[in-house]
Amino acid sequence: MEKRQDIVLGLIFVSIGIFAAWMATNYKGASGIYPMVLGLVLTLLGATVAIKALRQPTNQPRTLIDVPAKLVTAALVATIYVALVMPLGFYTASFLLVLTMPLALGFRRLAYALVVALVFMPVVFLVFSVLLEKPLPREVILSLIAVGR
Amino acid sequence: MEFYTNALSHVLTVGPLTAMIGATLLGVFIGALPGLNPVMAIALLLPLTYSMDPLVALAMVAGIYNGSMYGGAIPAILLRIPGTPASIATTFDGFPMADRGEASKALKIACWSSAIGGIASAIALMTMGPMLARTTLFFGPAEYFWIAIFGMASVAVMVGSDPVKGIMAAVLGLLIGTMGIDNLSGQARFTFGQTWLLGGLDLIVVLVGLYALPPVLQLAEKCDLKGLSAAQLKLAGAPFEKGEIRGLIPTWLRASGIGIGVGILPGAGGNIAAFLSYNAAKNASDDPSSFGKGNPQGVAAAECGNNADNAASMIPALALGIPGNVVAALVLSALTIHGLQPGPQLFHQNPTLVGGFMMEMLITSVLIFALGGALATRVFAQFQRLPGVLLVPTILILMCVGVYVINGRPVDLWVMLATGFAGYLLEKVNFPLAPVILGMILGPMAEQSVRRALLISRGDPTELVTRPISAVLAIVTVLVIVWPLVKMIRRRRRVN
Repeated sequence: MEKRQDIVLGLIFVSIGIFAAWMATNYKGASGIYPMVLGLVLTLLGATVAIKALRQPTNQPRTLIDVPAKLVTAALVATIYVALVMPLGFYTASFLLVLTMPLALGFRRLAYALVVALVFMPVVFLVFSVLLEKPLPREVILSLIAVGR
Repeated sequence: MEFYTNALSHVLTVGPLTAMIGATLLGVFIGALPGLNPVMAIALLLPLTYSMDPLVALAMVAGIYNGSMYGGAIPAILLRIPGTPASIATTFDGFPMADRGEASKALKIACWSSAIGGIASAIALMTMGPMLARTTLFFGPAEYFWIAIFGMASVAVMVGSDPVKGIMAAVLGLLIGTMGIDNLSGQARFTFGQTWLLGGLDLIVVLVGLYALPPVLQLAEKCDLKGLSAAQLKLAGAPFEKGEIRGLIPTWLRASGIGIGVGILPGAGGNIAAFLSYNAAKNASDDPSSFGKGNPQGVAAAECGNNADNAASMIPALALGIPGNVVAALVLSALTIHGLQPGPQLFHQNPTLVGGFMMEMLITSVLIFALGGALATRVFAQFQRLPGVLLVPTILILMCVGVYVINGRPVDLWVMLATGFAGYLLEKVNFPLAPVILGMILGPMAEQSVRRALLISRGDPTELVTRPISAVLAIVTVLVIVWPLVKMIRRRRRVN
């Protein structure tokens, strides 16, 4: 058992439980009792996890993140991608993602990534926009072309 | 019988048939790629099924589930990398077989064993599901409350290594399930003044985040830049020899029985079924020392066991509304998406749909024979030449499109990212994620049942434990929660 991680986990759940129980006091009648009970049970369980970890005589180190640099890079690129989906449009942002994510993770064969992007994106377009007719965020490039005309 | 003949006439139409064939192929492909798993694939698929006919949607779920459980054997045999957690036991004898040049034979045995396990499991579902549903017709709100709590409790204490964390995960799921407008009083709960939270957190958005993003982040961490060489994936034909199939029949029968039994138990999954089947085959063998060194019986037991778990895990899900594992929870989500309430009433209100899904589980198992053969396997194995790092953005794109099309709201993408990052970290501290999802699914049923029971009894809480069936269910639930805790305390005392 990793003592420090479990203590933090327990305390996080104690906080969530107390917060939920406190929020539930504002709800009328039966609709407040159920979440309040759940909040209190969560507090109790969180405290149990934390106390159990505190009383544990031995500490078995457990790596939380195996390769922090790669994980942070992937998380950052994914977050930027989600942020760009609306302003740039789904297909533009996705095309850029297929090219940039592998590069950011150390893949240097850009032509390979480009081929994957050129094969994968039309498949996604055919399935989601043509076959399933799902409305997706509009492409900014199309708006610019329309303004240009 | 009329129940199934009627359902079969609906299943054997163009839509469900095409969906079954396509999804089984897709399932084999997903299973063949280490890092992808059936839960992730079905979670990605569900948002796209909103506008589909429910039988087509369920056909896709059945195909991906059965296909991927076989597909996991491909990298397990060729590379000793289990494609899914359920194919770990396949590596024990599959890889040594491949190592001595019998990869094609091992793959063929895996294909046949998966199909046979799946067929046995589907037959168990078709016979036991309706029987179990009939026995629950006398259930009232108190019984439904205890069934929901029992389902959650058993999964919470059985998955993961720490029962306290499991129960904590289930309570967290219950709490998330209370978000939004309360159906009985109209009170908005935990919405923080946000209108998009009035309907609560979307189950599918949370599901995709929790189950699809952590494997993507792990793929990024692994950072496979090369993929496999063509030489590593060279396969030759390998027909069965005379008497070889007959020799495997006892193993298939034993593994099917074990897989079905494990599937019905809430919390136990395909990996447990595979391990138990493998051990049973080893114990029953005249030459147990040959196991682990390339014994075909080992491959047959593991693959038959993990596929026999598939349809059987749907028995409590369809009959009682209690998912035994995460895929069963996803099937319940698929039903909920189409406005259907899982549980015993489903058999009476939608017999075509329930019967149809059972038939689809059977047909997709049969399809593995045709679609998972040597040629198809050779094709799917080639996908392992793709550098793993290229899968990271492609899966992320599929996740985003799937989540966005549910409500057309950008905020759902952020919820997916947040739950995904949280899921990644929680998994690392041995916090099981399956009970969170079960809590979200069963929470509203538990709350409404308990409040209805109290309304009927005019606020008397003893109503929950005084009816005979509810009393039994309450005792069993308490035992399920208390027993692992008692065992844990005893173990600690012994150590001290």
